[in-house]
Amino acid sequence: MRILLYFLPKLIFASITMLGVSALVFLALRMIPGGYADVLLGPFVTPEAREAIAVRYGLDQPLLVQYLNWLGALFQGDMGVSMVTRAPVLDEFLRRAPVTLELALLALAFALAGGLPLGILAGIAPPGHRGGILARLVGALGASVPDFVLGSLLIFVFSVWSLWLRVGGYVSPIEDPVGNLRTMLLPALTLSLFGIALVLRTTRDAVLRVMTEGYITTALARGERPFDIIRLHVLRNSAIPIITVVTTYFGFLLGGAVVVEVLFSIPGIGFFIFSGLENRDYAIVQAGVLIAAAVFISINMLADLAYALIDPRVGSGRH
Amino acid sequence: MKMTRQQGILGLAFAAGLGMLTGLPGAAYAADDTIVWGKPGEITGFDAHVAGTVASWQMYQMVYETLLTTDDSMALQPGLAESWEQTSPTSYVFKIRPGAAFSNGRAVVAADVIGSLMRIKNPETASYWTAQLGTIAKIEAPDDHTVTVELEAPHTAFLAALAHVTAAIMPIKELEEGSFDPTSQLMGSGPFMVANHKQDESWSLTKNPHYWRKDATAPETLSALIIPDDSARMAALRDGRIDFTTFSNPDVALMLARDSNIEVLPQQTTNYYRMDVNAKSETSAFHDIRVRQAFNLALDRDAINDLVFAGSTTVDYPVPAAFGKDACHNTSTYALSREDRLSKAKDLLAEAGKPAPEITIMATSADPVYGRIAQVAQQSITEAGFKVDIVQPPVAEYLDKVFTKGEFDVSLSWLAGYTDPSMVIAWWNPNFAIWNQSFQEDVPALDTALEEVKSLPDGEIRDTKLVEICDMIDDGANLLALVSRTDYIAYRSDTIEVKVAKRSGSSNTFQFIYDFKSLD
Amino acid sequence: MFSIFGRIDRLSRFGFGLLVFLILLGLIGPYLPLGDPMRIGAGPRLSSPSWLFPFGTDELGRSFLPRVVDGIRATFLLSAVAVIITAIIGTLLGMVAGFFGGVADQVVARGADILFSFPAILAGLLIAAVMGPGQISAIAVISVATLPLFIRVVRSVTLGLASRGFIVAAQVAGASPWRVMIVHILPNIIGAVIVQLTYALSIGMIIESALSFLGLGGQAPYASLGSLLRQGSAYLTFAPWLVLSSGAVLSAAIMAVNLTGDAVRDALEPLKGRSLT
Repeated sequence: MRILLYFLPKLIFASITMLGVSALVFLALRMIPGGYADVLLGPFVTPEAREAIAVRYGLDQPLLVQYLNWLGALFQGDMGVSMVTRAPVLDEFLRRAPVTLELALLALAFALAGGLPLGILAGIAPPGHRGGILARLVGALGASVPDFVLGSLLIFVFSVWSLWLRVGGYVSPIEDPVGNLRTMLLPALTLSLFGIALVLRTTRDAVLRVMTEGYITTALARGERPFDIIRLHVLRNSAIPIITVVTTYFGFLLGGAVVVEVLFSIPGIGFFIFSGLENRDYAIVQAGVLIAAAVFISINMLADLAYALIDPRVGSGRH
Repeated sequence: MKMTRQQGILGLAFAAGLGMLTGLPGAAYAADDTIVWGKPGEITGFDAHVAGTVASWQMYQMVYETLLTTDDSMALQPGLAESWEQTSPTSYVFKIRPGAAFSNGRAVVAADVIGSLMRIKNPETASYWTAQLGTIAKIEAPDDHTVTVELEAPHTAFLAALAHVTAAIMPIKELEEGSFDPTSQLMGSGPFMVANHKQDESWSLTKNPHYWRKDATAPETLSALIIPDDSARMAALRDGRIDFTTFSNPDVALMLARDSNIEVLPQQTTNYYRMDVNAKSETSAFHDIRVRQAFNLALDRDAINDLVFAGSTTVDYPVPAAFGKDACHNTSTYALSREDRLSKAKDLLAEAGKPAPEITIMATSADPVYGRIAQVAQQSITEAGFKVDIVQPPVAEYLDKVFTKGEFDVSLSWLAGYTDPSMVIAWWNPNFAIWNQSFQEDVPALDTALEEVKSLPDGEIRDTKLVEICDMIDDGANLLALVSRTDYIAYRSDTIEVKVAKRSGSSNTFQFIYDFKSLD
Repeated sequence: MFSIFGRIDRLSRFGFGLLVFLILLGLIGPYLPLGDPMRIGAGPRLSSPSWLFPFGTDELGRSFLPRVVDGIRATFLLSAVAVIITAIIGTLLGMVAGFFGGVADQVVARGADILFSFPAILAGLLIAAVMGPGQISAIAVISVATLPLFIRVVRSVTLGLASRGFIVAAQVAGASPWRVMIVHILPNIIGAVIVQLTYALSIGMIIESALSFLGLGGQAPYASLGSLLRQGSAYLTFAPWLVLSSGAVLSAAIMAVNLTGDAVRDALEPLKGRSLT
C-alpha cells in the first residue's frame, strides 16, 4: 500500500511525460523538410504523386486528426505501417528489439565487470596509490573517448588485421550463435567504455562517501578484514547510487545506441529509427522515440521501486 | 549482498562469453552454392515502376526483367522480348520470348507487357517514367506473344526507355487478382525471387526455377547484407562475409590494392555528376544569366577530376562522353583554357554588376563524394570572385528544397545518362522533365530543338542538331555536367566469378548476375 | 580557482594543463606557421605523416594538422557557447521553479522530465532534422540535452535555500522576489552551477562531435573534430592517421575538461575519504 501510494503520482506524471513526448515527436516530424514522397520518387516527385502518397498514408488529413488517429491506434497496439516496406511497424520493432537488448546486456555486463572492481579499488586506495591512479585514469579515459572514436579505432584494428572478431554484418544468434558473438562483441565493447567509466566513478564516489561513516571506523577499530568490510558494509551501503546510474545507463543503451548501431551496421532499434528518419518514414520514428522514452521512464521507475524496497525510508514522507 | 550476487551472475555470463570467444571454432559461414552481395543501401520502396533510386533499381534488377536490354556499347539487345521491329516511325512490334515465366511458373504473356506499360502510364501509379516512354496512342496484343505499340509521335528513345528497369514487366494477372501487391512485394521473371527480407538487415533471394536462361550459372541462393558504411563493407569483403559489392568512392581500388584476392572493376556509365543552378529564384544571384555563365566558366572540372577522383574519371558533357559524341566539346566551357575562362567569368560578373556574388552550394550528405566535389568547386570559383558556402543536408531535405520549393542557389547530384544521347538532354526542357521546373528556365528555342531531336534517327543530321543544342545548353548555364560517374564493383576472385559490363547506361550494374558463379 | 591548485592531485593538474594548452593552441593556431587548413591540393592526396605534413594530408590534399587545430577551436567554441547559454537559461528556470513553486514549478519540472526522457542523441537527430544541419542546430541540441542538468540541480538547491532564515528575512523586509533571487539565492547556487557547467561542457563536446560525425553538425569545409573524424572514416583502413589524430585530440580535449571538472568539483564539494589500510 505504501509502495502503491508512492507510485501512483509517479505513474500519472509518467503518463503526462509520455503524452508530451508523443506530441513533440509528432510535431517535430511534420516540421522536418522533405517527406517520404521525396525519398521514394527522388527528383521526379510531382504534386500529383505527392498527393497520391499523402492519401495512401493519411497525411492529407489535418494534423490534429492525424495525431489523434495515431494515438487511438497506439492504444489498440497498432503502430502503423512502414512507408518503405508497408510492413507493420510493431513487427519490425519486435524483430529488432532483441538485437538492441543483446547489445545493451553485453555492454552492461562489460561495464559492470570493468567498472565495479576498479571503482572499489579507486575508493579504498590510499591517496597516491598506483591502483587508484590507474582506476582514475581508466575512468577519465572512459568518460572522454566518444563511442564513435573507439568504434572507429576498433574497426581499423579489426579490418586491417583479420582477427577473429568481425566488423558489421549482423547475424541472428539463433541461426549462428558464434557468428553473432563475433559481430556483437566489438560494438558492445565500444558501448561499454562509457559504462565502465560511469560505474567506476559512481562506485568510487559511493565508496568514498561510505568510508566516512562511523560504522566503517568502528569496523576498522574492531579489526575486521578489509575484504569483509567492503562486502558487508561498503557495497551494501553504496548500492543505491550505483543502481541509479546503472539503470540510467541501461536506458541509454536501449534507446541511444544510434551512433554505434549505425557505425557497425547493427540492425537494432537505433539504426531503425535513424534510417526511418532519413526516409521520413514517420510511423517508425514516432513509435521508436516513444518506445525509447517509455523504456527510459519505466527503467527509472523500476529503479525507484528498487530503492523503495531496499531502503524503507523512501516513500515514508521524506520525499 | 544483492550487489555481490548480481555481480557474480554477471561475472559468470562474462566468463561464458569469453569461453565461447576462445573455445569454439568459427562456424562455416556461407552455405554451399550461395553468393553474398554487400548491398550499400536498402531499397526506398518496393514498386519498381515508381522508385527513382539506384539502391532500389539494383534489387529490382535481380527479380524483374525488361523487354529490352543493352550491351557494352549501349546497343539494344533482346530481353524479355525475343525480337522487335519498328514498322513505321511510330509503330513497334515486340515478340515475347517463349519460355519466359514469372517465378510462380506462369508464362509471361502479352497482357503482362501491356498491363505493365499501362500501369506506368496511369497517373495514379505516380511513375516518373511516364514521359520517357512518349505518348502511347494504342497498345494491342494480336496474340499471346505479340505486342504492338502505336505512338502518337515519333520518339527515338522509346526503345531505350523500355530497357530501364523502371519499365519492369510485372505479373499483371496476379496483380489484378490481388495475389501480388507491387508496393510491398517483388515478383518478376528475372533470375531470382525473394525468399526472405529483413529490412535494413538482409535479403535472401533464391533462383527463379522458371527462369528462361536454362544455362545460367547463378547459384541457388543470392543473399544480400545491407552494409552502408564503406569501411565496414571493405572489412566484410576481406573476411569473406560478402563476395561482391559496389562503391562510388574512386579511392576504393587504392584501398583494396593490397588484397590479392579482391578485384575492383570500374564500370563506365553514361551517368555524370551535375550541378543544378537555380535560374528561377529572385533571391539567388543566379537569377542573372551572366552570373550563371560566370559560374559555369569558373568551375574547374579538371581539378574535380584530379583532386576528388585522382584523375580516374573524365570531364563530362551534357551529351555524355560515353556515347562517343563530341557535340558539346567546342563550347567555351570546355574549349577555352582555365585562364581564359577565369577572365571571361570575371568580365561577366563585372558586367552583371556583381563582382562578388554570395552563393551556397548544396551537396547532400548521402555520399561523401558530393561534399568533396563541392569543396573543390568552392576553391575554383572563389578565384573568379564568388563568395561560397557549402551545406550538406540529408537527402529528403535536399530534394524538398531543390525540386519542390526551389530554395537554393546551386546543388550537386548526378544524372542518369540512360542509353540514348537524346534521353538525358531531354531533361533540359522543363516542360518535358517537370522535375526541374522549380529552377530550370524555359527556353522555347531549346525546347523545340529537343523535341525535334527525339524523332531524328541516329546519324549526321542528328549530330548537327546535337551541336546546336549543346550551344544553347551552355549558354543557359542552368544544369551543368561535371565529370563522369564511374561505378566500382569489388569482388572476391577466390570465391566467385563475375560478369560485369564495361559500360552501363541505366545503372544496370548487375545485368549479368545470372552469369555470376560461386567457386566454393 | 588557482588557490585550489595545491590540493588537487597530479592527474587533475595534468588535465588542467592540457586544457589550457589546447585552448591556447586553438586560439593562436591561425597565427602559427602550420599551413593553410583550407588549401586544397597543398600536397599529394592521402599522404602519410611527414615533416612537411605532420598529421598527413586528407583526401583533397589538405594538410591535416592545421585542420585539426581549427577543429579544436571550433569544437570548444561551439560547445562553450551552447553550454553557457544553457546554463543561464537553466539557472533562471531552476530558480523560478524552486523559489515560486506551485504551477511554475510543475511546468518547469515536467518540461525538464520530458526533455530528460528523450535519449539525447535521438533528440539531437530530430532537432538537427527540423532545423537543418549546421552550427545553430548543434547548439540547440546541446542546450536541449544539458538543460535538465541545470534545472534539476538549481531547482533543488533553491528549494533548500527558500526556507532558510536569511531568505525569509529578506522577504519579510520587503525585497522583491527577483531581488531575492539575484542578490541572495544566486550567489549560493553559483558553485553548483559551475560544477554542472563542467559536466555539461564535456557532454556538449561529445554531442557536437557525434552530430558532426553523423554529418549533422557544422558544414564543410568548416572543420570541427567530429567532422574531421567523419571525413577520415571513409579512409579508415588506408589513411588511418586522419581518424587517429583527430580522434586522439578530441578524446584528449574532452578528458582535459573532465579532469578539470573533477578538480573543480572536489574543491567546491569536498568529500574526504579515508584509507582502509
